[in-house]
Amino acid sequence: MKPAPFDYYAPETLEDAVALLEKLEDDDVEAKILAGGQSLMPMLSLRMARPEALVDLGKIKSLDYIREEGGNISIGAMTSKRAVEDSALIREKQPLLHAATLHIGHRQIRNQGTVGGSFAHADPAAEYGAIAQALGMEMVVVGPDGERVVVADDFYISFLTADIDSTEVLTEVRAPVMAAGTGWAFQEICRRQGDLAIAGTAVTLRLENGNCTDVVIAVFGVNAIAARLGDAEQLLNGKAPSEALFREAGRVASAELDEPISDVHASGEYRRDLVATLVRRCLLEAVERVG
Amino acid sequence: MAITIPGSPQDMPTTAPRYVGKEVKRIEDPALVTGTAEFIDNFALPGMAHAAILRSPHPHAKILRVDTSAAEQMPGVVAVLTGADIKRWCNVGTTAPEGWGSTPMAVDKVRFVGEPVAAVAATSRYVAEDALELIEVEYESLPTVRNPQDAVAADAPLIFDNQPSNVIQDRTYTWGEVDQVFDDADHVYTEKFRWNRVGANPMETFGCICHWDVVNNSLTCYGSYQTPSFIALGRAASLNLPSNRVRVVSHPHGGSFGGKGGPRGTDIAALLSRKANGKPVKYIEDRVEYLLAGAGQSWDRYYQASLAVTADGKLTGFKVDLVDDQGAGAEGYGTISAAKPLAAFTGCYTIEAAQYHMKLVATNRAPTYAYRGYGPPPHNVVLESMVDIAARDLGMDPVDIRRRNYIQPDQFPYTIPSGNEYDSGSYAAVLDKVINMSEYQAMRQQQREAREQGRLLGIGVVNTVEPGVFDWNAYSTVGVPGVGVPEGVKVAIDILGHITVTLGFTLEGQGQYTLAAQLVADYFGVEMDSVRVTYASTDVAPPHFGHGGSRLGVALSGAIMGACKKIEEKFRLVVAGLMQCEPDHVELMDGHMRVQGMPGAEMPVAQVAGTMLGRSDLLPPGMEPSPEATYVWTADDRNEPDDQGRCKSYLTAANACHIALVEVDRDTGITQILKYFIVDDCGTRLNPANVEGQIQGSVAQGVGAVLYEEYVYSEADGQPLVSLFSDYLLPGIHEVPMTEKAFIETPSPVAPLGAKGCGEGAIHTTPATIVCAVNDAIAHLGVQTRETPISPNRLWKLLQDVVEEN
Repeated sequence: MKPAPFDYYAPETLEDAVALLEKLEDDDVEAKILAGGQSLMPMLSLRMARPEALVDLGKIKSLDYIREEGGNISIGAMTSKRAVEDSALIREKQPLLHAATLHIGHRQIRNQGTVGGSFAHADPAAEYGAIAQALGMEMVVVGPDGERVVVADDFYISFLTADIDSTEVLTEVRAPVMAAGTGWAFQEICRRQGDLAIAGTAVTLRLENGNCTDVVIAVFGVNAIAARLGDAEQLLNGKAPSEALFREAGRVASAELDEPISDVHASGEYRRDLVATLVRRCLLEAVERVG
Repeated sequence: MAITIPGSPQDMPTTAPRYVGKEVKRIEDPALVTGTAEFIDNFALPGMAHAAILRSPHPHAKILRVDTSAAEQMPGVVAVLTGADIKRWCNVGTTAPEGWGSTPMAVDKVRFVGEPVAAVAATSRYVAEDALELIEVEYESLPTVRNPQDAVAADAPLIFDNQPSNVIQDRTYTWGEVDQVFDDADHVYTEKFRWNRVGANPMETFGCICHWDVVNNSLTCYGSYQTPSFIALGRAASLNLPSNRVRVVSHPHGGSFGGKGGPRGTDIAALLSRKANGKPVKYIEDRVEYLLAGAGQSWDRYYQASLAVTADGKLTGFKVDLVDDQGAGAEGYGTISAAKPLAAFTGCYTIEAAQYHMKLVATNRAPTYAYRGYGPPPHNVVLESMVDIAARDLGMDPVDIRRRNYIQPDQFPYTIPSGNEYDSGSYAAVLDKVINMSEYQAMRQQQREAREQGRLLGIGVVNTVEPGVFDWNAYSTVGVPGVGVPEGVKVAIDILGHITVTLGFTLEGQGQYTLAAQLVADYFGVEMDSVRVTYASTDVAPPHFGHGGSRLGVALSGAIMGACKKIEEKFRLVVAGLMQCEPDHVELMDGHMRVQGMPGAEMPVAQVAGTMLGRSDLLPPGMEPSPEATYVWTADDRNEPDDQGRCKSYLTAANACHIALVEVDRDTGITQILKYFIVDDCGTRLNPANVEGQIQGSVAQGVGAVLYEEYVYSEADGQPLVSLFSDYLLPGIHEVPMTEKAFIETPSPVAPLGAKGCGEGAIHTTPATIVCAVNDAIAHLGVQTRETPISPNRLWKLLQDVVEEN
């Protein structure tokens, strides 16, 4: 379990990093960006990933920040998940993102793992995938041609694949500040605490004249990428919350899923049924939170 | 002269023990918490090379060609080993029974995924792994024997060409009038069970550094060895060396639980060293290697069991039919774990007749090895589940049916149908204590109230007997003959009175070095801190076995008491000579040799030792100036098994009763342990903190086995699907309950100081407790679980059937 040989670079500025990536690309060297290393290092050791060069962003201090600007919470890509967990700003203004962060691995992993690394890695079981979909987050990507902003729906392409070119660096993610009166919930099923989820859901909703509105349901861990469940959302909008309605929403959510993943921990059939339970439970919790 | 070993701490030569029976601080811990214990991967020899092993990707295949030329030419590579070298230098490994083993590296064919096929020693592990990628192996796939059904099929491919079939052993033991008892029974219950493959996962995998002395043709192996002398003998056999030319130096290791295999890794590192002209070669097994093909897989079982019961709940007969998937052969002594249940086949109960049909088959899964508990954990799931099935049908509480059938205190020593003799026990007292501690009736009320709200709460009440102090005779029937397991120590007092204990095993986690210091300090009335406990390698240590079979605490106590007693006898002669009295009038008490009836006529132990070593002129004529002694202990009164495998095998019979409260989430199938209570009785508790540690750790492994861990193999092609800790789920601190514990002490009348083996009791009991608790939660729905681990997916599936039926 030792990595195959690779060259190691640690640029100190974003500009240097992008220039380096461009040069490696020109030289036909397969490069991989190293952020917190919580997924990449095991993959290197198992020789499942064998890049010829590693570009470590660890020295680029300008990518480590959390700030509120223009109605968004902006988080630098090299910010640790632990910093998100400890951020009073995020806990107050974007509690769903905060709650999801607490489910990522264990504290030691959150100390080391970065926000950008998680978004860029695009693991189907990553909590942030569902949060990106649920909140309609934006990703800022910088490359030789400058900066572009990608919305969540476009950002995630497929299993472990995000819309980042080999000469680009994900620099920032943006989540809107949660609107007052929003109910939210985040739940996942893991075999053990801190494990990758075998199914999870994030929900936000509001109540208008006692009826559900602006319902958002995102699911992760079930398919190659996290997804919104539009049929279930539609079913709920304009209806008064009830146990029976939420049970029905769970059924609809379960039915509209693409064929779920099957692995040693959970069959596709089981995952599909878990989504029904999670959607129902999250809806109950979210409505409770609206007050 | 026969040495009498004290049967209780009160019989030691001290007014009141200061250390034995107390929660003293462990002398092992400073080195562990400061990171100075010399684990094998922290150890290096000059000029050492690093090994990596190329492993088979096929479950069953012929090896047509191995080309290592490119690897040999790679800079940094010092030796490459293949089947051709093995053929020249190695014998097939010893197995139980004989004839079901392989060489350390495949020669003509591979029998499981992960079997070594070639190896490289290089300047670093990185280089060695790079070189492995340059080795070309051409295979021809053979049909895979995925499971026992495949193994016994009429046209099954043979895994071992030297054997007529894939059945390693097929044998029925019959004890008592089984047919009669079943004919007479008012009720006979029959059920099937499946225990999926689990195993030991110590924090540290196996590692070694082997040094082949090419001048003297001898081998030294430094490594994380659990049973060093056993390993040394095995290497002599497989590597064609006289046994006195193999020296094993066991380093402190991060746990073992039976999983510190090492025979194959050691042989490969040794032969790489031989091929590299005596350069030492380090091999550190990594976790993927361990999970795929290390010594971490055990107990892959299919059961059918029948229980005969009278109308009033008396258990009279128990039949078990076991098919055990041993994997690719018997190299790991997995067969032993099928035989061990003989030592406590019928648990705590007065079941009068029993039968055990044991069918051990080879498949193309990884070979099975020892794991803490060594077999009874699945057996107890079967036995205790059957008892609950009877109770449920008869409308009895699980507590009442158990109490009704206990062996009573006045029936000990008690010979069970399968032949072992239990030394002592107070089963009802243990049960009463755990019922009170858990407020059992209140929990039943809580369960009823929860059920009214649609929640599924369940209570498991399980008691087991833990055979302690293993003896080889228990395993003669699967091909490991022998009676007695010697464990020796040397105790020496130097000229200044400082005491050193020398023994043949090293730190593994259980705390036996602390126990050694406690015992010697109390025997000679010195401070525990002043006793030094030191390890001796296999070439110089007294005969020893080391950790295993819940024996070392007891065996070590016997050995140390024996050695101390021998020194005391010598001192008696010395002091009698000096004081001019009869030796019989001299006694040791609180660190002084005293002449009875003569107040003030006494010498401290240190002074006697100093006199022996410094004033030979004062010694009785002909006396050896040697204030030291070696004593090798083994259990008394053991015998060979009869034709039905019956013998007095394990010396002690500890017991425990566990009660768990669980909640099953009906929608997700997740089982949560809400409360967990344990009362155990392992006789004299020599170090209560160590016993508690053994229990809590063993509970963790039981929880893992019953809810989380599983070596999954593809049903389609027999490929292993688990090779990472993200898939093999060890329970963590969030999953394992901190159990509430209490104990009673029924000292063993036959073991040194009255202590019983206690290293495995909780893993014997926890899986059954959780299975019974889950079934108690769901049985009213008309379903029950008979398969472990009770993963959420499995339980959800069971509960789905209910939903669909309704």
